[in-house]
Amino acid sequence: MRTILLFTLLLISTHYSTAQQTEKKKDSIIALDEVELITVIKKKIETDMKMAVSVDEFLASSDQISFIKRGAYAWEPLLNNMSSERSTITIDGMHVFGACTDKMDPITSYVESNNLSKIDIKSGQEGSMHGATVAGSIDLKRKSTPFNLVKQWNGAYQTGFELNNKQFFNLANAAYSSEKFVVDGSLAYRKAENYSDGNSDEVAHSQFTKFNASLGLAYKTSELSSVKVEAIYDEAKDVGYPALPMDLWLSRALITSATYKQVFEDGLFRALDTKIYFNAIEHYMDDTTRPENLVHMDMPGWSTTYGLLSKTNIKKNRFSSEIQLNAYTNLSTAEMRMYPQDRSERTMFAYSWPAVTTTFAGLSVNNAWEMSDNSLLNFGGSLGVHYNHSKYAEFNWIFHPGTPQEKTRLLPSLHTSYHLNIENFDFSVGGGYGHRAPSVSEGYGYYIYNSFDRYDYIGNPDLKNEISYEANASAGFKNHTFSLQAKVNYFYIQNYIIGRILSLGSPMNYQSVGVKGYTALDYSTLFNFSLNGSYTILDNLHWKGNLTYARGKDDNENNLPFIRPLSYQTSMHYKWNQFNFQTSITGDVEQINYSPEYGEDQTPSYTIWNLSADYTFRIAAYRTVVQVGAENLLNEYYSTYADWGNIPRMGRNIFTSLKFNF
Amino acid sequence: MKKFMLSVATLCVVVTSCTLDKTDYESEISTVVTEYIEYEEVVSITEDNYLISINALNGTFYKGYNAIRLNITNTETNESLNTSEVTFLPIMTNYNGNHTSGPHQYNLEYNIEDDYYEGYTVFTSESNDSEYWKLYITFSDNGETYSVTQNITIEEQTNMNLNMTAFTASDGEQYFIALVAPQQPKIAENELVAGIYTYNSPTSDAGTFPDPSQFSYSEVEDYTLLLDPRMPEPSMGNHSSPNNQDLIQGEDGLYYGVVNYTMTGNWTLNFRLQNTFGAVIKGTEVSTDFTPGIEGERSELYIDILF
Repeated sequence: MRTILLFTLLLISTHYSTAQQTEKKKDSIIALDEVELITVIKKKIETDMKMAVSVDEFLASSDQISFIKRGAYAWEPLLNNMSSERSTITIDGMHVFGACTDKMDPITSYVESNNLSKIDIKSGQEGSMHGATVAGSIDLKRKSTPFNLVKQWNGAYQTGFELNNKQFFNLANAAYSSEKFVVDGSLAYRKAENYSDGNSDEVAHSQFTKFNASLGLAYKTSELSSVKVEAIYDEAKDVGYPALPMDLWLSRALITSATYKQVFEDGLFRALDTKIYFNAIEHYMDDTTRPENLVHMDMPGWSTTYGLLSKTNIKKNRFSSEIQLNAYTNLSTAEMRMYPQDRSERTMFAYSWPAVTTTFAGLSVNNAWEMSDNSLLNFGGSLGVHYNHSKYAEFNWIFHPGTPQEKTRLLPSLHTSYHLNIENFDFSVGGGYGHRAPSVSEGYGYYIYNSFDRYDYIGNPDLKNEISYEANASAGFKNHTFSLQAKVNYFYIQNYIIGRILSLGSPMNYQSVGVKGYTALDYSTLFNFSLNGSYTILDNLHWKGNLTYARGKDDNENNLPFIRPLSYQTSMHYKWNQFNFQTSITGDVEQINYSPEYGEDQTPSYTIWNLSADYTFRIAAYRTVVQVGAENLLNEYYSTYADWGNIPRMGRNIFTSLKFNF
Repeated sequence: MKKFMLSVATLCVVVTSCTLDKTDYESEISTVVTEYIEYEEVVSITEDNYLISINALNGTFYKGYNAIRLNITNTETNESLNTSEVTFLPIMTNYNGNHTSGPHQYNLEYNIEDDYYEGYTVFTSESNDSEYWKLYITFSDNGETYSVTQNITIEEQTNMNLNMTAFTASDGEQYFIALVAPQQPKIAENELVAGIYTYNSPTSDAGTFPDPSQFSYSEVEDYTLLLDPRMPEPSMGNHSSPNNQDLIQGEDGLYYGVVNYTMTGNWTLNFRLQNTFGAVIKGTEVSTDFTPGIEGERSELYIDILF
């Protein structure tokens, strides 16, 4: 049923977009066989250990990403050890904003691994292409099938079971491509029960159910142009958050877009790519599954975004440039309704996001200049206008009397980096400067309960822009058997936004201990370091390892919260005929630099050991892979520095999966 | 095709519409509270050639504070009086014949702009079988004084934001606090307006009934009403709001302050009445502790509101 709905919706948007593109059609005069407009990057969404990963698990394999976890589902990605409001997270450049005030629905929770082709992570101001950022950008790329001269069908089906939380999943995707027309789609369904920790105790309220579908239709309107409509529908139901006093009853996301692409054979401009998009998210949290709660409470949230994205590529000799226009407008509304113990009494209502509109328009430029055969200069910048409007500004006036209902900000950004390659060595240095506007919660949030430090948070519309100054460098060595790369970056962030205890006001949520207001520290500093190595010991035996370290301090030299302690990962991969064997050890050392001021306690060290094996064979003409493995093989009881409320992570988990490729 | 497009459109709406509807804020804050802004006639009295029309909000007298507008028209000339001295005295008689009144403006003032006499009265109880209210009004025209009486009905005030309280303070005087505004609070800063009155004990024996000197009230001058609003609901744990302002007297004699309501529901306005010399003559300070699960403790002097 759902797919039918989606399909019809897409038909409508196709209709709409074809109407839109007729004007632009006249530009397409020249013919060219460079119709690989939709380039495919065949980096599969799977980790070394596991071929059927969730998006979260995949992101976790990046050394730049860490996670705040509030359960088994919808982890909040931290880029460069900064919370998600400091990075721009987009799907094919489209801005999507979660509808949960407690950040229980990062954008990564609305996609599924079988509808993504890759995830682009850019650190710092280099990620300003899609909009203003401090930490960088995470762009989730939807899988897209290229036009094909020969009519072709292909697909894959993957199923599997994870023993620990009895997770059963089915992932299917299929694509049809021809010279003129491409259609691809995916379906995914996961259902998991509560997981058990390393002591084999069940972690209550950690179940989830997720359904995801996506569909894309592309049509080649001329030799040099194509039009494409895409949609993703995601629905999560009955998702437990063991670290929170509430669970998710239902969330739904509809993410749609229509894209028009035009390639030019010669001239300065090489390609023009314009996309209009719309997405709507609804997210309903409540605590009907928590009878022990003193107050029954509903927390529904809605987020709707309309946007436009247009980018063009310029290339001349050794100089190439990418220019992108981003514009979007988002309306975020979140409510809370508390029920008195005597249900006949009046319910208590307030907005936690008082219908806040965020409108952004910005132009970003990224230039690459190949100064010589082995050196490259990247430089670019962006300038954006950011506008906020709070419909029910009287909510904000309670804590900030007389603050204006509207606020317009200018968000500039600059970045540059120089890359040098000398034989087997490569080096880079770079710097950046950029502003970001406060998020809806930071600016306009109203009694948003944070179960980590147990404070109710109040936004401040008058917060200044957060200004980041950043420096980064890397050095690497690579030959055909061995590689080693070290990366460092350092952020000096002015007006760093964080919650500070307010002396006025008393908590609204019964679990909280006080009220915090978002305020700006004079500055804070963040340092990230990572070391990656790989070594091919034998042709069929590979080693990989990485080490990360980060340090964050506020203006009083106190530690910032959610900074990952020294962490390591080492893995071996062995291939024998059609078999692959992988093993990895990952862990964090003891968290020394924790932050009691911001609600953290010390997290002990942990080490977990994972193991998996897969076998590839053919059933008829179909390539089939079967995999068996175990995560946390030793059933270690642990929780990480960023586990909300120190909820224990999953204990030993044996997983199996089977994949057919058609 | 038409049918198809129609079903497509329907499906489209189904897909994009929300599962749960957003709350309509305007109707949310008016579910238990109705705001009256129109003055309507409560009662009209004919005396000689004069028609006296008494107007109040929603055409009803309620327990608590009532603003009053009064028109006196000469039915012969069809002109309204504007030079008269108009007095207004509400008296309640109980089952054993005792008479009392409530704070009121005895001499009504003429409003030139809108052509009516205005004043206020605070009815301290509702009409019932054993307690009934009567108005005693006098006016004069062409050197002649007219007195009229009229039975009236005082209805229960269902809007708790217009509640009142009467008490004897530690100075031995009888006081009345009646809420005047906001009628319909918002989740916001609200200007809180209250009338504070005291009963002037008669210094001489009663003359002919109704002797106004026996029913004399005055506005309390230059006191301060200290305010601490809290939610009494046990699950709210004695929740309060920031940036409230104590009530001080404005030029019109009423007391003005600021109350912030952070959400809808039951609130208690905890008061302490401070006299001109800064002494608290009624009311106790309440705990500011956050106590989930325990009903909020109220001041000795309080008014409960609900919106």
